[in-house]
Amino acid sequence: MFISMNWINDYVDLSGIEVDELVKRFNLSTAEIEGVEYKGKNVQNVVFGKVLSVEKHPESNHLHILKVDVKDEILQIVCGAPNVYEGMVTAVCKVGGSVCAGKIKATKLVGVDSFGMCCAEAELGIGSDDEGIMDIKEPVTIGADIKSVWPVDDVVLEIDNKSLTNRPDLWGHYGIAREFSAIFDRPLKKLPVANLEEYSNLPEVEIDIETNNCFRYSSIVAENVNIHHSNRKMAIRLNYAGMRDINLLADLTNYVMLDVGLPMHAFDHKIVDGIKVIESDGNVVMTTLEREEHTVPKNAIVIADRSREPVAIAGIKGGLKSGISDETNSVLFEAAVFDSETIRKASRAIGLITDASQRYEKSLDPELTPVALARIIYLLKEIDSEAKVVSRFSDCYKKKYDRISIKLDPKFISKIVGMEISKEFTIKTLRALEFGIKDNGNELLVEVPTFRATKDVSIKEDLVEEVARLYGYDNIEPKTLSFDAEPQKIIPSIEYEYDAKLMLAEKYNANEIHSYLWNYEDFNKANKIEMKSYVKLLDSSNAGQSGIRSELLPTLLRCLDENKNNYEDVRVFEIGRVVSGLDEENMCIENKKLAVLFASQKKTEFELFTELKTAIFDIAKNIIGIDIMLDKGETVKYMHPVNSFRVKSRTDDYGYIGILHPEVKKSIDKRFNVAMLEIDFEKLANTKGYAKKIKNISKYQAVDIDFNILCDENLIYADLAKILGKFKSKILSGYSLVDIYENKEQLKDKKSVTLRFNLSSFDHTLSGEEIEKFRTDFIEFLSKNNLELRG
Amino acid sequence: MELSNITENEKSFDCDISKVASLAELEEIRLKYLGKKGLIQDIMAKFREVPVEQKREFGQKVNALKNKIETEIENKKQLLLTEQINKEIENTKMFDYSLPVDTKTGSLHPRTIIQKQVVDIFKNMGFVVEDGNEVETEYNNFESVNVPKNHPARDMQDTFWLSNGELLKTQTSAAQNRILRTYGPVCKVIFPGRVFRNEQLDARHENTFFQLEGVVVGKNITVANLIYFEKAMLKALFKKDIEVRLRPGFFPFTEPSYEMDAKCPFCGGKGCHTCGNSGWLELCPCGMIHPNVLKMAGIDPEEYNGFAFGLGFDRLVMIRTNLDDIRYLNSNNLKVMSQFKTKM
Repeated sequence: MFISMNWINDYVDLSGIEVDELVKRFNLSTAEIEGVEYKGKNVQNVVFGKVLSVEKHPESNHLHILKVDVKDEILQIVCGAPNVYEGMVTAVCKVGGSVCAGKIKATKLVGVDSFGMCCAEAELGIGSDDEGIMDIKEPVTIGADIKSVWPVDDVVLEIDNKSLTNRPDLWGHYGIAREFSAIFDRPLKKLPVANLEEYSNLPEVEIDIETNNCFRYSSIVAENVNIHHSNRKMAIRLNYAGMRDINLLADLTNYVMLDVGLPMHAFDHKIVDGIKVIESDGNVVMTTLEREEHTVPKNAIVIADRSREPVAIAGIKGGLKSGISDETNSVLFEAAVFDSETIRKASRAIGLITDASQRYEKSLDPELTPVALARIIYLLKEIDSEAKVVSRFSDCYKKKYDRISIKLDPKFISKIVGMEISKEFTIKTLRALEFGIKDNGNELLVEVPTFRATKDVSIKEDLVEEVARLYGYDNIEPKTLSFDAEPQKIIPSIEYEYDAKLMLAEKYNANEIHSYLWNYEDFNKANKIEMKSYVKLLDSSNAGQSGIRSELLPTLLRCLDENKNNYEDVRVFEIGRVVSGLDEENMCIENKKLAVLFASQKKTEFELFTELKTAIFDIAKNIIGIDIMLDKGETVKYMHPVNSFRVKSRTDDYGYIGILHPEVKKSIDKRFNVAMLEIDFEKLANTKGYAKKIKNISKYQAVDIDFNILCDENLIYADLAKILGKFKSKILSGYSLVDIYENKEQLKDKKSVTLRFNLSSFDHTLSGEEIEKFRTDFIEFLSKNNLELRG
Repeated sequence: MELSNITENEKSFDCDISKVASLAELEEIRLKYLGKKGLIQDIMAKFREVPVEQKREFGQKVNALKNKIETEIENKKQLLLTEQINKEIENTKMFDYSLPVDTKTGSLHPRTIIQKQVVDIFKNMGFVVEDGNEVETEYNNFESVNVPKNHPARDMQDTFWLSNGELLKTQTSAAQNRILRTYGPVCKVIFPGRVFRNEQLDARHENTFFQLEGVVVGKNITVANLIYFEKAMLKALFKKDIEVRLRPGFFPFTEPSYEMDAKCPFCGGKGCHTCGNSGWLELCPCGMIHPNVLKMAGIDPEEYNGFAFGLGFDRLVMIRTNLDDIRYLNSNNLKVMSQFKTKM
């Protein structure tokens, strides 16, 4: 919203305060000012001039050569405006002066000298008309600077509409002026209005409200309106405030809206002489003033005439037929308040957001209707003193807001703010904002003004805000808190999340990604990946996908797909959430999962698998502090049916690890070998880890001996270990895998597993005989278990 | 055996040692004089033959010679070793110390890196760090945080509603009720999380983004406390004192409500590209928790009060990383994501 400071100064004298200071304090106390524009700054040396003669340019079809009287001299000006005529009074920018577009110099136009420029109102920034130069009808002094008569110079503030969402009172200049008055402690002047009492003997306008969604509808009728254009001051203000001047009656309704914040409407009284406020049955079609057709949705409010013929979409837009034109001379003014929610829904449904609907959405104060009408009559008569009011102030006040009084202990404000704020400051501030105050000593009884009572202020905390914002948040000293020192709860899924991510990034060179929650069904289908969605989005137009993912790996495969042409290796991971099912109450079961994918064009599937297995064992052992293992078991269909395994601990099953199914691999990119895993991270993190203890070492010399054990090539290491576990020896402290050797020609269907046995004793140095005995015992053990030593 | 033999041997040693050029030659000489069959041993063996009256002098001289030979050989040895090392050093080829190295490592998502920094500072101040779901109930997301039935935020166009009647949380505040019930009425908790809005995507708008929310509830909590914690957080984030300003704002969950702006850390308030020439960055909506929100969490607002703040996390990430398009944050684009490494 644009606020003209000239307009504000009508209501509060802010002279002597710099614009920077005005902006700063308003920002801190009321709402955000997004921009400041110095209107008229570029308009210099523009005077009123009279066109004495108009001659066609000999070399041009559209240019004219004018002689223009600017009092001190007669200027020759070459002008392209189609509307120029002899005797026209217009605005002339002299050589050396400037308009919005820049400086005006003496120049030659198609060979003819031109000394100055005749200006369109758009070129001066004071209007929107750019089709012709200004045709000034009002009496002006030729040669006088336009700024000496018209309020061209102004400071216009752009206020962020979003920051006014909860302040219906700030959608007009008078409300903003009230804020400035309170902020700078300058008195607020009364709004000049007509005395509507004078007309109480005149006939009443018939008003019926047939809906519960209209709080109040008020009206007044005027006739004999013969001036059809606003004065220049009003026109400039409307333009500076972001609107256009149209004709007097339309301009008046807009002006009053920008003034008091209540949208108004003017009907041609010859067409509309009584009002029915009704609800749409869903079949109402309205052609608006802009000649657009709209179907008014069911339950939206419609203004109809006495014969129930719809004439306007309430609070949004007027209808064409009943609208005023440049010739209208009798008018029925509407000042009404509708239910904010109804207007908001209707405006969204129709797709029409207007200055009026924006204001109504904020819950306007029904007490404003007489004010707005009294104001519009005042302004109308100021411009057209012949205009005649022919009805009384007619009013149907269907629904009232309750008056709100709040009991406030003035100490409460200091208590919440954390600074001593005096009772005197509190009272002064609230009064400046037009709150009524009854001082009962330790308690104030605060009466909320109606324009703040529609939804904004209702509890004592709201009053804290009023006082604190005017006290200035920049005056509040930051203070820390005193709390009992006690250990805080640790949530493992958060605590270990960072550690796991860091390990994957730093030790396993993987890149973390964050992907969307959506199930990319097209991608999955194209690549033969099956993933279920347990819930869908009701409106997926902005997400592009309707299902919610139930697994993470398909997203990582999509990441591989998008990066496969840029890299030889893709190593990515994500800790993210999925919906893995619905419970018996149909609520989502959500899991926080870890998925990792290692893909490479150089490494074998087994190498990648081993790296990945190492990574997850590393996380489990060194971050969570548990031992995990892999086991055979069912995984997901896009993994290899043979080489995919469950990831387990002794007590839990966390997920799966494996290589990509050959079919999916072929579909995504057969150059890439892919290993991947997906586990329930929250479950893993919540598994109780062991307390790490060190293993004491013997002080006597230990001995390592290697054995190459020949066994069936299909015997997995875990099964071999199970066999070896049965071998008992007092001097065996452990063994480790050194190498596995496979060679079809030499070993046929066997493989050689080299194990290194570590022998030691805690009380003596081992003798040669002891070691030899170990060797013979072990070989005997092997042969009993159908194993043998190689070579 | 005579004393003159000793002198001869000394002369011969002097001559020999002066010619030594290598450790091997030195070893030869050592063996020649000091070895088991060396000349000194020879002389000692013939000690018997020395006339009695000369024995004392003879003994002294032999010992002196032996000491001299030992010392000189040792000195020579050290000299040769030093020479050898010097030669080695001279002959060393200098490394090309300027060759590029590959400090290859994976990367964390920039949100992870910055979240860690924020979380750490609050943990230091005794806050609990909580986790939260992405799917929430309408009650938790709206009712429980005082967003009334007809609030525009509930409109279809802002919220991703799910087929089972739940929704994707539109704000981290959706976790407030559960957290206040779990930890209240005296607590300090922060909870980072992903939130969703049904919006069209462009360089500045996402339908999926991150927030970090904090709540403090207790007795006599003040606006002054709120400002303190905001400043502490910003200081940790930007690694310097940041001036903040509070402006009135409006959110249903707080009363009074504020927008907290930070003086732009890049231009110091003069106005730059990052702050849109305003000198201020709008970072953090905040306020004193609305009494209704406390009530709905079973906390008596007459006895306890508190503050809450929500940090627009992605905006902060963009500012810190110089990212020009918010959509990168949810993308699979490894060309961008792999640049972040693990620290910032």
